[in-house]
Formats: sequence, structure tokens, C-alpha cells
Amino acid sequence: MSSHDVAILGYLVLLIAAALLELTATRTRAPVPPLGDVLSRIMRTRTGRVGVLVAWAWLGLHFFAR
Amino acid sequence: MNRVARRPAAAPAKRRLAVLLGVRDPVVVILLLIAFFSAISGKPLDGLLIMLVAAALAWDSWARSRRAAAEPSEDEPAWPLTAHRHPQPAVQAPAVQAPAVQAPAGQAPGGSAARHNAAVLGGLAGVLGGILYAAVVGSFTRFSWPATIAVVGLGALVIFIGWQGPLRPRPVPGRLPLAGVAAWGALLFAGGLWELWQLLQQPSLTVTSYAHPTISALTDPVLSAQPGRALMLAGWLLIGWYLVRR
Repeated sequence: MSSHDVAILGYLVLLIAAALLELTATRTRAPVPPLGDVLSRIMRTRTGRVGVLVAWAWLGLHFFAR
Repeated sequence: MNRVARRPAAAPAKRRLAVLLGVRDPVVVILLLIAFFSAISGKPLDGLLIMLVAAALAWDSWARSRRAAAEPSEDEPAWPLTAHRHPQPAVQAPAVQAPAVQAPAGQAPGGSAARHNAAVLGGLAGVLGGILYAAVVGSFTRFSWPATIAVVGLGALVIFIGWQGPLRPRPVPGRLPLAGVAAWGALLFAGGLWELWQLLQQPSLTVTSYAHPTISALTDPVLSAQPGRALMLAGWLLIGWYLVRR
């Protein structure tokens, strides 16, 4: 297995873990909040709200802007 | 007498402490770190814009703490109500929203249908606008000035809207289970570390590596063509819409 494959595998593991965590939150009674609730909680203050929105804007800047 | 003499010296110290507290806000610290790493990895514009927002948040935090010091209050709301679009705290949203389905006395019964139609039309206009934006901006060359202006403009607009508060009152979840929040935090942290590890394994911060691809390097083939850019932009817009409505 090459370094490239290991890197891809790492990203896939993270993606699957996120999906499993969301499924655990929405389909079971485990004490795990859905990601949406975590975001709502973070975004209840101005710094949290603006921080999350800046992270979103940064994605656009990073992939498309100079 | 002593108290009067002490006040002028104590006030600047309090102000300095307040500014320091504003900069020490975890969100401000994270934004400053993102700004720093963006700037050193060849994206000075990203770094500058994020630093400006971090400075504005630190200033806002300082200004609010100054107001709080001037008018001490035991039950200050988490959200600054003066800047809020809605006079009701978000936690009371369900109680406010529940009776909204009944037309108030004296109001035309078709009022709620008209509101529904307006909402549907607004939503349709938003979807069409989003598709148009993705198609037009996706047709611009990546990292060109037109693409930069379009993305920076929309990003700044959304942050400005977010600064004012939520678009509509929403119930804020109560205290979340710590273990679950820690699990999400650990996942985010692990993702950040994995991406950073790949970045540091590159020949340099600005030269990508096939053996150690970052997410940016992996998306390069998709974003090199117009349809890929338009699709990614549409996804970015959807996430932004989801966030701005929370």
C-alpha cells in the first residue's frame, strides 16, 4: 500500500466515522448530539456564529479565490 | 479619597484586560491561527480577510464587556439583543411560532396562504439565483480576479448577515452531552491533524504531493473543469444556506 493510498484511506476513515457518529446521534439513544445541534449550540453567540460562517467562507476562498 | 485617586489608573488597566479577553476568545484565536497559516501557505488575501474578521470580533467582544462593566447585569443574554433581529430570545421560539398558524382576529384568512406563497416564491428565487451563481462563477477561471470578487463578495455578505443574528428565531438546544460533543471535537481535531500531516509532508507548503495529497490536491482534478467547479460551488452555497438559517 503506497503513501497515497494510506492518505486516501485516512480521509475515508474520517468520513465514515463522521457518518457513523451522525447515524448514532439520529438513530440511537446514545448521548451523542447530531452535528446540526452542535452547530446550533456553537452559533448561539455572535463569535460562534461568525466563526462558523468564516470557516464556510474560507472554504470558498481557499478553493476558488486568488 | 483613595477610591477617587485610584479610579483613573484602574480604568486603562481594565480596558487593557478587556481587549486581552477579546483576543483570548477561542474563536478569535482559531481565526487568527487560520489567518496565519493561510498567509504563509500562499493565500495572503484569505489571511488578511480572516484577520479582519478576527479583529472585528475581538473589538466587539471588548465593546460588549465594556458595556457590561458600565451596566452590570446578572442575566445578560448569550446573544447581544440590541443587535438581534428579533426581540424574543431564541429559546422562546417554539412558544412564539406555535400560535402563528392561527390567523389573528381581524386578519384575512388567506394571510397565512399568502405568506406561504411568498416563502415558496422566495425559496424558488433563491434556488434559481444559486444555480445561476454556481454556473456563472464556475465558468470563471479558478483563482482569477472575477472568481475572487464573486466568492469574497458572497462570503462577506453572508458574514455580515450572520453578524446581525439568526434570520429567524430558532430553538437553541440546551446543554449538550459532553461525551458526544467531545466525540465530534475529536473527529474534527483528527481530521485537522491528518490534513496538516499531509501538508507538512509536501515538498513545500505551496507544492502539492501525489504521495501525500491534501484535500485541496485531491479536489484539483474536479475543480479544473467548469462542471466540477459549478457543482462544488453549488455544494458550497447549500452549506452556506444551511448555516445562515441556523
